[in-house]
Amino acid sequence: MTSQAMEPGELRFTRIFEAPRELVFRCMIEPGHLTHFWGPIGTSAPLDHITVEAKQGGRFETVMISDGDGSQYPTSAVYEEVTEPERLVWTEAQSGMRVTITFAEAGRARTEVSIHQTNVPAEYRSEQAQAGFLTSLDRFAWYLTELRPGGMS
Amino acid sequence: MTVAQDQMDATFTALADPTRRAIISLLARGDATVNELAAPFAMTLPGISKHLKVLERCGLISRSRQAQFRPCHLERAALDVAAGWIDEHRRIWTERFDKLDEHLRQIQASPPAIDKHLENS
Repeated sequence: MTSQAMEPGELRFTRIFEAPRELVFRCMIEPGHLTHFWGPIGTSAPLDHITVEAKQGGRFETVMISDGDGSQYPTSAVYEEVTEPERLVWTEAQSGMRVTITFAEAGRARTEVSIHQTNVPAEYRSEQAQAGFLTSLDRFAWYLTELRPGGMS
Repeated sequence: MTVAQDQMDATFTALADPTRRAIISLLARGDATVNELAAPFAMTLPGISKHLKVLERCGLISRSRQAQFRPCHLERAALDVAAGWIDEHRRIWTERFDKLDEHLRQIQASPPAIDKHLENS
């Protein structure tokens, strides 16, 4: 929040992998690869719950399942851009989160992967997503009213 | 969508506005009245009040109901929640990429890497 380059709700993240760019890119769009790493520590991302339609407008759906209690965290996104092997952009309609991943060659068989993740401002969202966003705001207002009667002016 | 996510949406929407971010910065130095906050911004009092209401609604600031000039107070915990969102997602990507690193190592160690491995997974 103090850095000028960072907007609220924005995350930038870079990592270098010792692998050719084509391979790293395919890892990000092929379920057979994704299942090996998509779930963070303590979760798994089963192959039969991964849907990838790697093209603009295609679906990108995953379910992360907790190793501990089996609780499920499904996410559903739509690709805005699939430019092999350079760039992937998807938006999660429900949370309004947009993820841009860039793949850059960083030497022989080395690839720099950059993540840029934002909470997309309402005005940039699709109509459908906007409707969801307004609904969530309404529910938040309702929640506040319930919690703090008279607290809303 | 959970209540926490809803609140996060509201918080980030509130923080997306440069004037509101500037107000937050001012309040980080200490509590201030609406008049004190309006001074640096060439803005009308109703204009500032509108921004304050947005910030108050998502819990980023609070206003005393007792004191005569109702000074605004920055709720640092709410800001921490927003910062926590960033930390949480940074953690997810870090762990994901650790696993991807390991995965890439494995499939490159046993050629022919790509297609062969897909059949096995």
